[in-house]
Amino acid sequence: MVSEEILRTHLQELRRGTVVVASLVALRRPDYGYALLQRLAAHGFPVDANTLYPLLRRLEEQGLLTSEWNTEESRPRKFYRISDEGETVLARLLDDLAAVQTSVAGLIEGDDR
Amino acid sequence: MSSLTDRYLAATLRAVPAPRRAELASELRAAIEDMIDDRTGAGQDAEAAEREVLTDLGQPERLAARYADRRLQLIGPTYYLVWQRLLRLMLATVPGTVGVVVGVLEATVGDDPGRAVGVGISSAFQTAVQIAFWVTLGFAVLERTDTSLNLPEWSVDQLPEGPAERDVRLIDTCASVAMLLLTLAFLPWQHFQPWVSDTDGDRVPLLDPALWSSWLPVLAAVLVASLVLEVAKYRAGRWTWPLVAVNAALDLAFAVPVIVLLLTDRLLNRELVQRFEWLRMDGHLDTVARVTVVVVAAITVWDVADSIVKARRHHA
Repeated sequence: MVSEEILRTHLQELRRGTVVVASLVALRRPDYGYALLQRLAAHGFPVDANTLYPLLRRLEEQGLLTSEWNTEESRPRKFYRISDEGETVLARLLDDLAAVQTSVAGLIEGDDR
Repeated sequence: MSSLTDRYLAATLRAVPAPRRAELASELRAAIEDMIDDRTGAGQDAEAAEREVLTDLGQPERLAARYADRRLQLIGPTYYLVWQRLLRLMLATVPGTVGVVVGVLEATVGDDPGRAVGVGISSAFQTAVQIAFWVTLGFAVLERTDTSLNLPEWSVDQLPEGPAERDVRLIDTCASVAMLLLTLAFLPWQHFQPWVSDTDGDRVPLLDPALWSSWLPVLAAVLVASLVLEVAKYRAGRWTWPLVAVNAALDLAFAVPVIVLLLTDRLLNRELVQRFEWLRMDGHLDTVARVTVVVVAAITVWDVADSIVKARRHHA
């Protein structure tokens, strides 16, 4: 029986890269940090706040996201949205994700035969 | 604004590079307030909600490191192996050399062998500490400045010589044989060419001359047998259980007489002891004997344990 600990690390490894993909997709609609966190969680991507906030800034520094301060609401919030460059990178990432899916499916089928 | 959030923000921002600090402050504050509001909206007490939110965010320094993309390790995987190899190489060679040189110098300048040994050991230790500190500091700085060392890529040509089963390497065998030969040569040398002479200019041997008709030939024979063992071990290429047994027997055959002679005060030449005021003083000779016994015992135990570990590794 594999321990919970080992299982958790493997799942974590598997999920790690998908947070970037999920954030880029979700930010086709501009949003601020906490709202994005909740949207991601609602769609089955539970992310820790202390992972997501630094990640958003890093993606912004890399030019994949742009940001804008919204001061109309009760408290000023920084809204992120995906940039053109971000879309290009996202397209590549989604292709690769699909390729991984296909490869795994093919491997499973090939193994069954 | 409650003070816990303020303190958390201050602690985080302190560890973040200055340029974007103000912007990060507003963003992080809004995020924390959003999270607190969400919890109080669900009926939680405001103070408890704040504590929970900040606890979830974790240690401020860790969060700041994530923002700044800073490494939370002294020496990372890029340099770890280089650091380890350099440190090992330097620790294996430099402190011993420095200790011996300083000890010998001290012995030639002063006439107190005990002091010379002490000075040698302490300078070797200090050298080791200095090396460990500066090498590690150097690599920690490299790690933080992202300096590339432009080290050559690893290639198959760097693989160690010889088949992997060869645990006993030629260089180790040569070192052991050289040590044994030096020890063997030391026995007659200390008798005929000692560095201490008495008032008449006659030479005073280090070891008790009476031992020549009793234990010294036995010890010399054990050393010769150890030489044979080294050769046999090299030919076998690794530690086998019979070799381990013979090695342990030879170690004991050397260590036990030396320890017994030391403890019964029969190893050192009494005349020599008389020449040194420091040794004559109360209890000093006993101290030297006891320290030597501990060292001899430690070396013996280590040698036997090492051979067992290596033999087990091979048979496992």
